[in-house]
Amino acid sequence: MKAKFVKEKALSFLLAFPAVILLLAFLSIILFIGIKGLPAVNWKMLTTSVQKGGIFESIVGTLYLLAGTLLIATPLGVATAVYLVEYAPKGRVNRIITQALNNLAGVPSIVFGLFGYVFFCRFLGLGISLLSGWLTLTCMVLPIIVRGSQEALRMVPKSFREAAEALGAPKWRVIKDVVLPTATPGLATSTILGVSRVAGETAAILFTCSVFLMKGLPSTPFQPVMVLTYQLYTLLVASPSVSFDRAFAMALVLLGVVVILNIFAYLMRVHYRKKWKW
Amino acid sequence: MHLEKPNFLCLKDKAEIILFTVASASILILFLITVFVFEEGVPAFMNMGLSNFLFGQRWAPYYKSFGAFPLLYGSLMIVFGSLVISVPLGIFTALFLAEYVPRWLGDLLKPIIELLAAIPSIVYGFFGFVFLAPRIMEFFDLSVGKTALTASVILSMMTVPTIVSISSEIISSVPKEYRKASLALGATKWQTLKSVVLPAAKPGIVASILLAFGRAIGETVAVLMVCGCVPEIPSPPWNYFEPVHTLTAAIALEMGEVPWESLHYHALFGLGAILFTITFIVNAVADLIMKKAPKGAVQI
Repeated sequence: MKAKFVKEKALSFLLAFPAVILLLAFLSIILFIGIKGLPAVNWKMLTTSVQKGGIFESIVGTLYLLAGTLLIATPLGVATAVYLVEYAPKGRVNRIITQALNNLAGVPSIVFGLFGYVFFCRFLGLGISLLSGWLTLTCMVLPIIVRGSQEALRMVPKSFREAAEALGAPKWRVIKDVVLPTATPGLATSTILGVSRVAGETAAILFTCSVFLMKGLPSTPFQPVMVLTYQLYTLLVASPSVSFDRAFAMALVLLGVVVILNIFAYLMRVHYRKKWKW
Repeated sequence: MHLEKPNFLCLKDKAEIILFTVASASILILFLITVFVFEEGVPAFMNMGLSNFLFGQRWAPYYKSFGAFPLLYGSLMIVFGSLVISVPLGIFTALFLAEYVPRWLGDLLKPIIELLAAIPSIVYGFFGFVFLAPRIMEFFDLSVGKTALTASVILSMMTVPTIVSISSEIISSVPKEYRKASLALGATKWQTLKSVVLPAAKPGIVASILLAFGRAIGETVAVLMVCGCVPEIPSPPWNYFEPVHTLTAAIALEMGEVPWESLHYHALFGLGAILFTITFIVNAVADLIMKKAPKGAVQI
């Protein structure tokens, strides 16, 4: 009997091993890029133009890309989620749309890139431009935003809806004045996760919106843009022998942005889950 | 008595129609992707014959030779390699998180593992390129560091979170009664896990592995940085110490320089179509299996 318990104890220690390996892998990435990147990231690097060896335009370009994608993808995603949760919670329409979203979520980002190139850049004639990038990335993050928003909407207590309906409010007003405001933190969380995905995306923007070098920032959405991920990609693929200072700086900035966004989204979720135990 | 004015009724309908239209966008997008990627890929299939394209042994764009087999093989090889690492690692971590760890620690560890999934693939690629590849070269005494093994290791880091987060939710969602019944019969915790919980959670775990497969085979820039990008089948074919090339990496690297509407261009879309088909099938199967998972399980 005792041997059995010893074995059990030993097993639970052994089971901790894979989790520890994962944590170590995670730490090694963070530490490696952090330690090598920190000396390279300084105010001068961040604010110097790309043409002079800095990364300024690629940071702002990434922000352009994020902002535009969000402006298009968030309303689309939230509206889809509202329709799915409030108007068609079950039935064939819901099944078909959910299926389409699931399939979309599984499409590799490089295929989104190919599609964006042939459809937005060529077929619609938008060319290699910020706009093509926004639209391509919208297709890509739509499932993420919809899924998150659906969860947020489902967390709104039924009693809220019923109370508003009992006051005689029509459905769209219940949604507009009660459901959406209550779900806002959750919707914001799902959007943030979408942003973090876009910020780190490379394959989908390779042939749709980014260039390695251009003069300054795009002044209209029909111009291409310099983006952090693409800069890093080209630096590594095209000229892998140059000094890695800039590469480390870019990798660290990217890593930092994504980690901070995710921690922020996580804290927000935890905060509101705690607050909202009705 | 009419409580609702017709005006309201009309607006309500309008809201529903608008929302329905917007929601259909996802169907339209999926449709357009399918149509356009295949439409551009089909000329390559027609020109060379589907089987020549799929099973041609030589990918040499310079010589107008577009056999996708070495790329397909490379993709499958490193995905297989990555799963060999990430499946046991992922399932045991999921078990550990769901069954052995106190709740607060689980709540702390899970987001960290999910963060692993959020790290941009270019950062993984960079890490593999400057950190892992040289170490693998040194450790195994190879002439190159960018090998199928390097790519498999990097990919496994990227796919483990998918397996862990889905599997651990599935494992937690196995009904408590199952465990209690088993424990009441005198089984130990590990015996209960092994013969009751894991079998019950099996469909969900299999689905999570399939999803990880889908994610791994579609991974582009991280793989491209570390696989070596040599479009040849290693000799012997199971030699993980040789460089390989993948479907995704070939598209990413060659698309930039390819003349529009050339055979090479269509061949790259053909690769995209293969990739799309594989992920579509894998996800559909995962979806089917997931429907058999315990009730109340997570949505994938």
